[in-house]
Amino acid sequence: MTEKRQKDAGLEAFFEAARADAPVPSTALMARVLADAEAAQPKPPAVGLIAMLIEAVGGWRGLGGLATAACAGLWIGFAGWADLDVIRSGLTGDEVGVVELMPGGEVIALLDGSEE
Amino acid sequence: MAFDLGQEAEEADLLARFGAGDEVAARLLATRLTPLALRVAVRMLGDRVEAEDVAQEAMLRLWRMAPDWQPGSAKVSTWLYRVTVNLCSDRLRRRRNVALDTVPEPEDGAAGVPEQMMDADRAAALEAALLRLPERQRQAVVLRHLEGLGNPEIAAIMDIGVEAVESLVARGKRGLVAALAGQREELGYEND
Repeated sequence: MTEKRQKDAGLEAFFEAARADAPVPSTALMARVLADAEAAQPKPPAVGLIAMLIEAVGGWRGLGGLATAACAGLWIGFAGWADLDVIRSGLTGDEVGVVELMPGGEVIALLDGSEE
Repeated sequence: MAFDLGQEAEEADLLARFGAGDEVAARLLATRLTPLALRVAVRMLGDRVEAEDVAQEAMLRLWRMAPDWQPGSAKVSTWLYRVTVNLCSDRLRRRRNVALDTVPEPEDGAAGVPEQMMDADRAAALEAALLRLPERQRQAVVLRHLEGLGNPEIAAIMDIGVEAVESLVARGKRGLVAALAGQREELGYEND
């Protein structure tokens, strides 16, 4: 029994040395393993371009508001300022005044040539 | 270890996160588990290059298995040990099919050993002696005494009973003592 204990103790010194001298992965091996991980990893669901645009304007609600504003802008563009009173008075009963937001804008437009 | 999260549950959690596309989880798992696969493969095969291939293959199987991992089904590390041990067995089986004279002989741990062995010498002598053991004994001894696993976990890895593990470890240790007999003093034989 004593002899067995001696042998076990002697062997344990070898085990301990081997545990302390354990092989560690090289940088190259870790790079290979991580490359495999990247290739094998399931990707999160892809976000489509349309979904990204909808998200950018605040979701479906934002998209509804944007569409309304676009339609109103289109109508005003076609109808011109003269008919704006009709809309305004129809909605609020007030008179509509035109405010010059960009004095001299015509000059810029002329320089740009867009009035011609 | 900087990335050592300590708990087995966290390994399972990391695996689930990896399966959900978390790249950080991949790095943490690789840092934690690749050394485990490499250690076992080096001790089983005695060939660093081949062992690295086995470790990479074992980790690749882990990555592929991640989306199907069932939490609570087993320890991730136990699963990886099992895959590594089996991959090593495949390699050893293939080696046996190669002509014996083309396989290098393991170093003789008993030859020319100085009186006072350095730890590195002891480690090298043990690894050489391990390679002389029958494969199943080597698996059991490596998992028990170098990886520090309990017999029930080794039984699960090797797909045998706990008593069979105990028997393999005991026979393996006797084999090691015989193979290392050259280092009588180191082994406590000085009174023989």
